[in-house]
Amino acid sequence: MSHPRSRLGRRRRGEELGLGALALLIVGTGYVLLALSEAPEIPANFWGFLGAIFSLFVVAHLAVRRLAPRADATLLPIAALLLGIGFVMISRLDLAEKSSDRVAPAQATWTAVGVGAFVVTLLLVRNVRSLARYRYTFLLLGVAALMLPLAPGIGREINGARLWVHLGPLTVQPGEAAKVLLVVFFAAYLVDKRELLASGSRRIGRMYLPDPKHLGPLLLPWAASIMIMVQQKDLGSSLLFFAVFVAMLYVATGRAGYVAVGVGLFGAAALFAYNAFSHVQSRFDIWLNPWQDVEFRGYQLTQSLFAFGSGGFAGTGLGLGRPDVIPVATTDFIFAAIGEELGLLGTMAVLIGFLLLVGSAFRVAIQAMRPFPKLFAAGLATILGVQTFVIVGGVTRVIPLTGVTLPFVSYGGSSLVANFVILALLLRISDESAAEAEAEAEQVAARQAVESVQA
Amino acid sequence: MNAQIRHVGLGAVVLMVVLAAQLTWLQVIDAEHLADDPRNTRTFLRDFTGPRGEILSADGKVVARSVPVDDEYERQRLYPLGELFAQTVGYQSIWVGSTGVEKAYNDVLSGRDLKSLKLKDLGELLLGKERSANVVLSLRSDAQQLAKDALGGQKGSVVVLEPATGAIVAMYSTPSFDPQPLASHKHREVQAYFNLLAAAPDNPALPRTYRERYPPGSTFKIVTTEAALDTGIATPEREFPSERSFTPPQASQSISNFGGRSCGGNLEEVFVNSCNTAFARLGFELGEQFPLRMQGFGVYAAPPIDLDPGAVASTGPLPGTFATNKPSFALAGIGQGEVATTPLQMAMVAGAVATGGTVMRPHVGAEVTDDEGRTLRTIPARAWKTAMPAATAATIRDYMVQVVERGTGTAAQIDGVAVAGKTGTAQTCEGCKPHAWFVAFAPAEAPRYAVAVIVENGGVSGDTATGGRVAAPIATRMLRLLLGV
Repeated sequence: MSHPRSRLGRRRRGEELGLGALALLIVGTGYVLLALSEAPEIPANFWGFLGAIFSLFVVAHLAVRRLAPRADATLLPIAALLLGIGFVMISRLDLAEKSSDRVAPAQATWTAVGVGAFVVTLLLVRNVRSLARYRYTFLLLGVAALMLPLAPGIGREINGARLWVHLGPLTVQPGEAAKVLLVVFFAAYLVDKRELLASGSRRIGRMYLPDPKHLGPLLLPWAASIMIMVQQKDLGSSLLFFAVFVAMLYVATGRAGYVAVGVGLFGAAALFAYNAFSHVQSRFDIWLNPWQDVEFRGYQLTQSLFAFGSGGFAGTGLGLGRPDVIPVATTDFIFAAIGEELGLLGTMAVLIGFLLLVGSAFRVAIQAMRPFPKLFAAGLATILGVQTFVIVGGVTRVIPLTGVTLPFVSYGGSSLVANFVILALLLRISDESAAEAEAEAEQVAARQAVESVQA
Repeated sequence: MNAQIRHVGLGAVVLMVVLAAQLTWLQVIDAEHLADDPRNTRTFLRDFTGPRGEILSADGKVVARSVPVDDEYERQRLYPLGELFAQTVGYQSIWVGSTGVEKAYNDVLSGRDLKSLKLKDLGELLLGKERSANVVLSLRSDAQQLAKDALGGQKGSVVVLEPATGAIVAMYSTPSFDPQPLASHKHREVQAYFNLLAAAPDNPALPRTYRERYPPGSTFKIVTTEAALDTGIATPEREFPSERSFTPPQASQSISNFGGRSCGGNLEEVFVNSCNTAFARLGFELGEQFPLRMQGFGVYAAPPIDLDPGAVASTGPLPGTFATNKPSFALAGIGQGEVATTPLQMAMVAGAVATGGTVMRPHVGAEVTDDEGRTLRTIPARAWKTAMPAATAATIRDYMVQVVERGTGTAAQIDGVAVAGKTGTAQTCEGCKPHAWFVAFAPAEAPRYAVAVIVENGGVSGDTATGGRVAAPIATRMLRLLLGV
């Protein structure tokens, strides 16, 4: 398995280190500015903080250098930047809290766990295609993870959504793991069946529709997302699962008809949910008119919109706004807190960060040589993109608000670990395709050398 | 599959662009609107937890200040002078809203009005020093205290202003209330006290000086005289018949003189002796011209005072109603019927004569200062209305001097100072005790202060009260204090 030190690998790791240093510089500056808003001196724990984030980044970087040397150079530094901005914001929100309610130390610990999961993933998954072999195991694990919060005894309902599981002192969100597990299954399944799904279509008028018997795999995830919506009252995850699946189906088959049918199915489900469940109706009504009940039901959303407005173009400055008036600011509304204190400049920077992250992930998918890694990477990229849109769109009132985390930025252990695993998998795929491309190039070169000798 | 991946990637880009567009809307185009929305909790919290300037009386007493406390609102507003300033300075309350100077000058006190605040140096900017400004009132604490003492618990109002600038020096009404409990952070306490105030029979939370209207009675004859002179209805030489009563057309009741005596003579005589018959005649003769002249003094309009809620408008007979409502215009000539004025408005009427015809905008704030007492801004003197030409004002001033020298207002005499005044004893309803009024300014030749005093229903004197006996001595005490004689 040991890769010879390739020139591509050396160059990419050098770039990664440089970009990472830049990200750490930005984050370190943010942390100092935050501290200066409280007292006119560099905080005592600053060097400890800088040392900790520096060592975490270096650990991740060295792991990539050793385990996936040819992997994409931009993913890790962008993730570090987003995570750092999120951490500074979480520390800032902690200033307004009682010490017992502070979450930055937990986020720091979870970051370390996330980096651990990142390294372990790179260590364990030496070959992405090996994952495809266990597709049904992943399906089972994914479905089990989805159902776990419903289990009596360990399942917990927090903020009206039942997606938590109590494990000793920890509360974890198994849905975050389900996300990754199911994407593995979808990718493997769709690679198998894509010819079938793509060819067996009927023509009705000028429209090509998939054969009804192939709608089965479409209906299963559809049913699963309705179940999540109804049982766990988690609209965000429901939308996320379904959108990712439809996107992967489209990538695998190239049939826009699936997208149309998928959107139709989800629309029908949403309409049904709106009529049948008061919490869905309430979310939707708040979205349509948050100003009707600013004091109670619309409070979160309107305070979020006020945060963006109060921040304006340049923001109030770190530590100088009142993002703490938005409920659950560290998780669902972290982006509104960024909007208030860092302004449009900050929100655009974060948004561009996500655009680069998601773009790099799609580039990994395009560069992948084989169908399974290609589809798998596209699925992971879609998760990151859709999740970002769902939460940022929710807090800015583009779409109804649903509680999902902003990848790498929000506080939340399960989400952070899952995102680090996604990151590791993308880097693994990227390294693999680069290695294959390199090997192919070497073969071509060797053949040419042989031919020239023969000539 | 690469083409499809590019499509999905393009879709992600489109979604990001949608988000960027919405963020631009929220943070640039609609930002100001959102930031200033009163329901934005930030605005509210900044006002309560941020530093807040002091409110000081003109003689340097602290009327309101904030001290740090250990609760979620971080600062407690204190009102060390209690009820003395409550009806003008108001209160800052989390639970029942803010009023008075606290509300009108909120942007200054909370430091939000940054235009008036200059940063001293770059260091302050870098340290993000939170700034707020103080409001210095034109009200004097000794004048407030004297107004309270002089009223002596009788329901009524005292307003003293500088006619030349509109600055209010004293504005106090009885009963008043302690604003401190309303500034409490405890919801239950605040609500209980607020309900108590609302249920109190004498309505102590009502600032009678600028938010209650009374029939002004004979003090309004200043306005009638001005109207008659400037419309040509009367000249100083006009002789009014000596008569006991006057019955305007359409009226079922006659208008009689005080004490039922007969009364007449030239304009000065009927003014000095406050003949109702003569002024009711003038009110009737003025007809539709009368409301127009009243408007010149500010009647019918809310005076633009720097308080929130502001002053209420005084009223008179509605323009265009003379044809069907002639008795009302006759009654308006003697300050009865549909005429109802605030004590503030009557001080402004006296002030208009004092300035030679100009009504200044009334204000309680004098200047805005920084935390070291340096003046950042002075509240300017601005004219509001023009009531009359200087010649008319001079004529009326002479009449008012005569009122105090030899007429109904002799109780207002001050040794060595010429006081110009006018008494009023206003009927409120059949069988009710009359309100005692006195308006004045002094010194008559170079006026420094104008004053209006009302004692509701004659106060302790009851039925036997007249403006000259009950209200004039209070006005005199105020003028003595302020003029230092």
